[in-house]
Parts: sequence; C-alpha cells; structure tokens
Amino acid sequence: MASALAAVAPQFDDAEQQRSASNLGIWIFLATEVLFFGVLFAAYAITRVRFPEAFAAGSRLTNITLAGINTAVLLTSSLTMALGVHAAKQGARRALVGWLCLTVVLGVGFLAIKAVEYRLDYLEHLVPSVNFAYPGPQTEQVELFFYLYFFVTAVHGVHVLIGICCIAVIAAMASRHAFSASYFTPVDVTGLYWHLVDIIWLFVFPLLYLVSRS
Amino acid sequence: MTTDAYAAPRTYVIVWLTLLALLLLTVGSAYVQLGWINTVLNLTITVTQAALVMLFSMHLRSAHPLLRVIAAIGFFGIMLLIVLTLFDVMTR
Repeated sequence: MASALAAVAPQFDDAEQQRSASNLGIWIFLATEVLFFGVLFAAYAITRVRFPEAFAAGSRLTNITLAGINTAVLLTSSLTMALGVHAAKQGARRALVGWLCLTVVLGVGFLAIKAVEYRLDYLEHLVPSVNFAYPGPQTEQVELFFYLYFFVTAVHGVHVLIGICCIAVIAAMASRHAFSASYFTPVDVTGLYWHLVDIIWLFVFPLLYLVSRS
Repeated sequence: MTTDAYAAPRTYVIVWLTLLALLLLTVGSAYVQLGWINTVLNLTITVTQAALVMLFSMHLRSAHPLLRVIAAIGFFGIMLLIVLTLFDVMTR
C-alpha cells in the first residue's frame, strides 16, 4: 500500500483520482484519433460515391486472403492485450509480461503480412505514382482508390508500429516490477490505444477489401 | 471507474470468438451478390464488432458515463463529418 501511495503524483488526492484522470486523458486522445481517421473515411466516402465502379474494380484487385488473415491476427492481439490487462489487475507479473510479449509478436506479425501484401501490390503494378498500370476503363479513378488504399493502410500501419513500441516498453517495465495490482494504469492506457487501432482496422478492412467481391 | 468491474477472461475469449465469427460472416457475405445491401451488411457487422471491442475489451460497459460520452462524441463527430460532406457533394 505504501508503494501505491508513493506512486501518486502531487496534483492528485489519491490513486483512484489519478487513475480516473489518466483514463479521461486517453479517451480524449482516442476521440481525436477517431476524428483524424474520420477525415480519411470522409475522403473515401466522397470518392466512392462519385466513382462506384472504379472503387469496385480497385477493391477486387486487393489481396483479401492476406487482409482477412491480418484481421484475425489483429483481433487475436486484442484478446491477448485484454488478458494482459486482466493479469495486471490480478498482480500476476509473469502472466502480464507473457501476454504483452505475445501481443507484440502478433503486432509484428500483422506488419510482416502487410509488408508481404505491399510487395505483391507492387509486383501487380498497383502502386500509384510508382508503377501503377491498370488496363481497363477509369484508370485514373482506380488509381485514386489505390492512393486512398495505401494512405489509409500506411497511416494505420504507423499506428500499429507505435502501439508495438508502447507495449514493448510496458512489457519491459512490467518485468522490472513497475506495476502491481493497485497500480497498472500504463498497462490499461496502452491497452485502450491498442484496441482502438484494432477498431480502426475493423472499418478499414470492409471499406477497402470488400467493396465488390460478388 | 472502479477496476473491479472489468470483465473476466472467459468473457474476453467469448468476445474474441464472436469477433472471428463476425469476420467470417462479413467476408462470406461479400461474395453473395446483394447489390448495395452488401455494403450495409459489411458496415453493420463492423459497427457490431467495434461495439463489442469498446464495451468489453475497452471496459466502456462499466466505465464512468463521462468516458462513454467522449467515446460517443468521437464517433458522432465522424458521422457528422461524413454525412454533411456527402450532402454537399451529392447535391451539387
């Protein structure tokens, strides 16, 4: 209990108030992240409404197998993160470190699969401004779809990368006894960020990969 | 905002299995020709998945109302942005 009290910063009355403030802070940050991605989704909506055929054609050229596997990988990493937070709450240090490491592995796996997918996109001449080649009608509009595809997935990828780094730092702190059952706010907050990155991908996946498969 | 209200591991596993099932459903439905209903179906499933993650993994189910309001504002902001922008673009 003494160590938990010592962890309270001077501006807070107690540990609970400090925890609440951290939670409020991360949620406001997450709301701004949602709005940041919202601009991209709005750009997507306008472009898709204007060029529905081109978006259908572009979407059919994306790699649904790798993206589907990646979605499952990210959903699983969300589970391991949630179990990590639960372990932290129980004060189970070893389990916490284990779950966090597993989450990092799954996050790296997501980026690795994404890299393979980018490579295949490149080989299929789907990278706008680099080697884009599309024979059919509406070539420029299909290219526009791929501009959005690469921008949205790359920005999301950066978020995954940041998440991986945060979780790795938290795992290192956890292995050095930085957290206890009464103080694990950094684990909690990192978990919330990771889940949001997961949610954003849940929207990106159908919008880019499932436009017109039938 | 008490931590006691966090879900049990079993709940997380059930949520995860549900999310995977919904993923299969959304991918499977995309291969059935339904016209514009395909997109509506995909987005409905996605919103359901996002709600599951937010309610359980992100503890919104048991969170302080203030946090729920902030989460709602984020998504309401997106809706406003997209809908009003589309009104403009589609009525030109």
